[in-house]
Amino acid sequence: MTLSEAAPIAQPITELLDAETVQSIADEVWPSLVGDGEAFVPVPVPPPADVVSAWVDIIGPWTGSVVLTCAPATAEALTESVLMTRPPTVVDSEDVADALGELANVLGGNIKSVLPGESRLGLPQIGSAPSRGRLDDVRSLVGQWRGNFLTITVQGAAPAPHAERNEVPL
Amino acid sequence: MTLTATSFDWVRQLVHRESAIVLQPGKEYLVEARLLPMAQQLGCAGVSELVETVRNHPDPAKTRRIVEALTTNETSWFRDGDPFTAFTSTVLPQLVAARRPDERLQIWSAACSSGQEAYTIAMLLSDALPNAATRVSITATDLSRQMVERTRAGRFSQLEVNRGLPATMLVRHFTRSGNEWEISPTLRRMVTATECNLAAPLPRLGPFDVVYLRNVLIYFDLPTKQAILTRVRQLMRPDGWLFLGAAETTLGVDDNWERVVLGRGSAYRPRKGA
Amino acid sequence: MRALVIDDSRAMRRIVGTILKDFGYEVREAGDGRQALDVLQEGKAEGWRPDLCCIDWNMPVMDGLQFVFAVRANPEYRQVTLMMVTTESETGQIVKALAAGAHEYLIKPFTADALRDKLALLGLLPEEVSA
Repeated sequence: MTLSEAAPIAQPITELLDAETVQSIADEVWPSLVGDGEAFVPVPVPPPADVVSAWVDIIGPWTGSVVLTCAPATAEALTESVLMTRPPTVVDSEDVADALGELANVLGGNIKSVLPGESRLGLPQIGSAPSRGRLDDVRSLVGQWRGNFLTITVQGAAPAPHAERNEVPL
Repeated sequence: MTLTATSFDWVRQLVHRESAIVLQPGKEYLVEARLLPMAQQLGCAGVSELVETVRNHPDPAKTRRIVEALTTNETSWFRDGDPFTAFTSTVLPQLVAARRPDERLQIWSAACSSGQEAYTIAMLLSDALPNAATRVSITATDLSRQMVERTRAGRFSQLEVNRGLPATMLVRHFTRSGNEWEISPTLRRMVTATECNLAAPLPRLGPFDVVYLRNVLIYFDLPTKQAILTRVRQLMRPDGWLFLGAAETTLGVDDNWERVVLGRGSAYRPRKGA
Repeated sequence: MRALVIDDSRAMRRIVGTILKDFGYEVREAGDGRQALDVLQEGKAEGWRPDLCCIDWNMPVMDGLQFVFAVRANPEYRQVTLMMVTTESETGQIVKALAAGAHEYLIKPFTADALRDKLALLGLLPEEVSA
């Protein structure tokens, strides 16, 4: 898929994507990938000490990432649900990267379709969430899955280091 | 399964009272699945807790939501195939031949839910007839106000358009709107949606050339089934066609109908002299 | 019935594969279009040919659209039904895939029922499952 040479959009994601749309996408993704009757519930719970994130980049007139964040144990439980594994089968880190990555991929793909212009998705990644860009360029849903902390965040890309103006050349 | 017997019983009685629909024992899983999202949204631990909450603090809005959650059908496009291929190949040509060119064909989708059946018919008609919009009107009714509004809106989620809708129809008859898909304005205008409780005396509708009454009779007890079929027949043209769900029949229920084999399925026509 | 599931996500291959196996399909997998063509080629040698290919769009090496072009250009695979299974869901994308020769298009996220409905449309649902 080739991209048009469109100029980047100046608007922050909050003007392009409302919370209801993200929630309705999650409402479709969860029963489909995580299991019948499963849901991402937008009711906050206290965040855990440790988190892991899976994300996909969206590159287009608006550029940023769709990031899914939860505790490592939640990531494992999600993976077991996505892959429909049963004890005594256990999931390994490759399974988690793949399952969470696919969740991020499907969330990201649907969010991409709502944004203006033509965009493409990067490959799923897992680890510590990418740095955020402008603070107002963030659309975040804080909630839970089966009572566990989980967030879905659509965040603008951080500016590239060379664009910073406050470095003093040596 | 967290649903208690008393909770299931309360729900069963509520639904029967409000809609005459019968939830047989064994349908506990359905109640659990359909009410769990509502229970979670309201912060209840499970469906039984939701039921207790509503029993102790009666709330018409919550009661209505419960009834609606349990009285919607499984919805897909072109459900079971045959009643729609038969419509295009056999029923429609016969009707067009039997009616005057200026007579509008009247079609009734009698348990329309979110509108998939009504718009399936609209798509078939627009592909089969020139000027379908002026030759046909489709009445879509449902017990639920929420479903009637959904049918009027003609907007469907990604999950919904995935259900049995040929991709070629999706691209020709729908446009994307945010994360949803909207039926084209031409097709939307072909459908008029209103509330209607089949288990009660019917408003003045029709007379209909074709009625789709699919997968709704199964929820009713025998006397109600018979009453509904009688009322429906009274709103039909004598040479009209009735389509029931794939596993349904008028046999043993109402013998004022003649069964006609169509493809691998069948349709029912008012028996002459009935 | 036989199917080839083509997706760079192992999770998605497993999800689609499991649903198809529940419907009685024998399932083989590939991680991209190139691998899928290899699987088809190897299958020919043993008389194995899929009735259905479920094809993701965005994959490395050879994407789903290119795979569709390649298969439809080969008369040996004329009887193989090609269904896209992808998050790409803009009208233009769907039209492109259908024009390239895909027979059907399933948008992610999808449910097992949705996949079953598509199979029914395509006449690829084993009779016992139709209920």
